[in-house]
Amino acid sequence: MRTLVKLVVITSVVMGLSLLLVLAGVSFYPSSRVRWLALAYLNTTYNPYLPNFTVWSPESVTAIVWDYRGLDTLYETTVFFLAIISGLALGRGVKRLNLKPGGDMGLSLIVKTVTRITGPMILAVAASIGLHGHLTPGGGFQGGATAAVVPVLYIVIFSVFYLSWKGVSTGRMLTMRSIGLIGIGATSIAVFTAGLLEGAPAYVFQNIAKATSPVSMPYYIHGALTSGTLWWFNLFEFLAVSAGFALAFIILMTPEADKNG
Amino acid sequence: MVELLEDYLFTIVFVSMFINLGLSLFGLFYKPHYTKKLIMLGILGDTLNVFAVFVGYRAWPSPSTPSRPPILLTYPFENTSVLVEFTSRAVDPLPQALVLTAVVIGLAVMVFLIFLGDNLYKHYGTLDMREIKRLRG
Repeated sequence: MRTLVKLVVITSVVMGLSLLLVLAGVSFYPSSRVRWLALAYLNTTYNPYLPNFTVWSPESVTAIVWDYRGLDTLYETTVFFLAIISGLALGRGVKRLNLKPGGDMGLSLIVKTVTRITGPMILAVAASIGLHGHLTPGGGFQGGATAAVVPVLYIVIFSVFYLSWKGVSTGRMLTMRSIGLIGIGATSIAVFTAGLLEGAPAYVFQNIAKATSPVSMPYYIHGALTSGTLWWFNLFEFLAVSAGFALAFIILMTPEADKNG
Repeated sequence: MVELLEDYLFTIVFVSMFINLGLSLFGLFYKPHYTKKLIMLGILGDTLNVFAVFVGYRAWPSPSTPSRPPILLTYPFENTSVLVEFTSRAVDPLPQALVLTAVVIGLAVMVFLIFLGDNLYKHYGTLDMREIKRLRG
């Protein structure tokens, strides 16, 4: 009853305050114009008429994430790396069980069969979200977070031992995550290294050739649009995010061994 | 009348986000249980993300025509008219780019905090902050 009264009070405060604001002429209805900065981003995200400014990606959000503000995203990846690694550091030093998966573990046969079908489907959708991130809404972060759902499903429905028996072990996840992070680092300096080798000026986190730097990542590979570094960043971020979350979930959900043995 | 109603609905969303912000901060500070603090932290982060998306929102330029998603469908294109149409319809992409990374980083930080709570429970046998304060002694 008291919860209901609180709910009613809060709701009426919101509704009344909004009505008051609207009647007072304070409008929060968005205008039909966007800011100048947004127009600059939207105009240059895929624009063959401005070859020195464009990213060659029809998806402007991914273009911002990995090209216009790529350095920000590198630091976001660093935060992600530190959060996962500090979580793992807190979880270390604990003896965890390692059993053989039996038939009686987990939920019923119906749920297990459905999961066997849907698990690979979720992975396929995740790969599609991640690897088409430069063409359609999506990208490495979203695809990786989607792919990380699959190990959680398998842990809940089968058991955590089933995953390691299937080969999804913490060591392999750590390797995949390291490959992803090394790939992100390598991609961010790829064009810079090419510029060094060719003796042309180039920048860290450069993607397409600029007015002062003629070096460019190939944005069409065999007729397919890859938007330069965006595809590679998405691929490696997909690996890093999915493997990082899978690693954390596996360690978090493995039962601890008793103190006796 | 319709404009007033639209205005009212948008204002409700805006005001309720502020109320949500206040409530989640209250819960974060005054709820004694660690798990409840985590839930409130999640609500706080999500509210801020919705707020950022709200800032980047844009009204449909011509209200009489039905809205279409702004997609660069025909590329490579011959003239700039496709681009002009795209720019006249697309919303601000910058808040969305910030939100999409913030969501994943928030999840990673949440995983870290859950590990922290796991350790807290292991050492103190409880997740109640009052108890932990007393036990530290």
